[in-house]
Amino acid sequence: MLEVCDLSFRYQKRGPLVLDGVNLTLERGEIGLLLGRNGAGKTTLFQTILGMQKPERGSMRFDDTNLLTCSRRERAQRIAYVPQRIRFGALTVYDTVLSGRIAHFGFAPGSEDRAITERILEEMQLLALAERDVETLSGGERQKVAIARALAQQPQLLVFDEPTGNLDLYNEQLILSEARRAAKERGIAILMSVHDLDRALSLGDRFFLMKNGKIRYTGGPEIMTEPVIREIFDANVRIISIDGKNHIITEETL
Amino acid sequence: MKQRIETATAKKKNAVAFAVLIAALIALCVACLLVGSSNMRIADSFSALFGHGTAAQERIIRNIRIPRILAALIAGAGLSVSGLIMQTDLNNAMASPSTLGVSNAAVFGANASIIVGAGGFLETGNRLSSYTSGINLYATSLVAFLFAALSILLILGLCRMRAFTPGVVVLAGIAIGAVWTAATTVLQFYATDVGLSAAVIWTFGDLGRATYRSDLLMALITLPGIAFFSIVSWRLNALLSGDAAAGSMGVNVNVLRFSTMLVASLITAVCVSFLGVIGFVGIICPHIVKRILGHDHRVTVPASALCGSILLLIADTLSRSIGSGSALPVGAITSLFGAPFFLAIIFLRRGHADHA
Repeated sequence: MLEVCDLSFRYQKRGPLVLDGVNLTLERGEIGLLLGRNGAGKTTLFQTILGMQKPERGSMRFDDTNLLTCSRRERAQRIAYVPQRIRFGALTVYDTVLSGRIAHFGFAPGSEDRAITERILEEMQLLALAERDVETLSGGERQKVAIARALAQQPQLLVFDEPTGNLDLYNEQLILSEARRAAKERGIAILMSVHDLDRALSLGDRFFLMKNGKIRYTGGPEIMTEPVIREIFDANVRIISIDGKNHIITEETL
Repeated sequence: MKQRIETATAKKKNAVAFAVLIAALIALCVACLLVGSSNMRIADSFSALFGHGTAAQERIIRNIRIPRILAALIAGAGLSVSGLIMQTDLNNAMASPSTLGVSNAAVFGANASIIVGAGGFLETGNRLSSYTSGINLYATSLVAFLFAALSILLILGLCRMRAFTPGVVVLAGIAIGAVWTAATTVLQFYATDVGLSAAVIWTFGDLGRATYRSDLLMALITLPGIAFFSIVSWRLNALLSGDAAAGSMGVNVNVLRFSTMLVASLITAVCVSFLGVIGFVGIICPHIVKRILGHDHRVTVPASALCGSILLLIADTLSRSIGSGSALPVGAITSLFGAPFFLAIIFLRRGHADHA
């Protein structure tokens, strides 16, 4: 379980707090959605959880591991990350996914690392692309490779920073279903940010609504109400029910 | 399930590439050994190589050609791999072994040593002999290396104080390099004609200065350096995905960048200090290798090393054949022929994503 308590961060001394007493818990197998406007502090929160930024105050644990004191390698064996803008070198898909094992193998991969890589490629139906240069793949395929590489780390927590930003509808659905599968089948906790609120509503188990560095609302899908969304996003939406499922649409759409 | 899906075609391609590179390297070494500006016949070169020639012929082979070939092998490999590492570290296709201003600092050091140390500075006395005596060559190289090392530490130190990002490093390198160049200009302005010409001639990259001792010193830094890059090649591969991704994969990005740039710059410093400035090897070779073989550092590190050695051997052979009797500086050849060739590669091959 990921437990973040009273986490605060600022980029410059005496600068404004970018994270202001953030509290967040996420169980394994759950998909947590971090939602908020641009600049609300979502990416900073991700970076702090990933150890790229040192918080000013607060604590972060994953199960028994103190994320503030553990080594980079220990952290990478527990937490993997799929960044917003994915970049690779001209490596084969196989080697790219294998490179996710660095935190486990150190300097040179062993047979176990190769076996895990092959299993993940097979499960994600990437075997056919194994020899291809990642740079020649389509956006959706690259995203899939990035997820495969993150899964090769065998993480317990997967952090996704807007994974569907540049994808078409087909690839978006593909990536989100991979994320759901990783959470449910592998029991991985997933912390994700997406811009499409309707997509978020159908995907998330827990919601963290963020504004000005604070998490204002936490809870299940039931907290996603029209006034709450108006407060967080400064935008008017309507929630309508279709076939018993709630959907969020913008007022202009109506 | 298939046990080893590995990347069979990629492996085959790499194997062919390495076989070609190694064969070319051996052929060139033999050619360089047999051909030179002394117009010795090939048969004579052969017999001299095995100790059956005249004393003069044996001296040419043993004391001139072999150290020169070794210098080309070591410096070519060192400069090329340093360029590759700089390009990866800085995520910048234009980064070169001297991006940190290493060459400029070494040139300043050598100029200071020659102009001030050997008495060419604000003096009318002509002590030309001291520019050319062997012992002074080492003094000049030593001072050049010390300044290059100082420059590296200064820049890396400055960058550690602030964010150690590629942008900061490149800007710091440009600024510090400009300071060394300006300081060199000031020195040269006050130099005597003889001091000035000696100093300027030093900056021309020239393999003719190589001795067994200088080769050994270059090898002592270059070979362990290349081995180090090979050991961390998976981490360098991770760095191709950007700092955030590499960090999340457990790579200590700052330590990796600091250590690899330090080693790459030291390799450059020692090569420049002994041989003068040899441009373009560190840009052109890594680019050719990456275009053909991709970006995997397990492959590009050794392939760039081989490619660098080959290019410098070719350039040196050209410089000795063109110069009719006196070899042209190899540094001029690498840029003169390397740059158009490089442009041809860039413009003739289209439709490939341009990546550092």
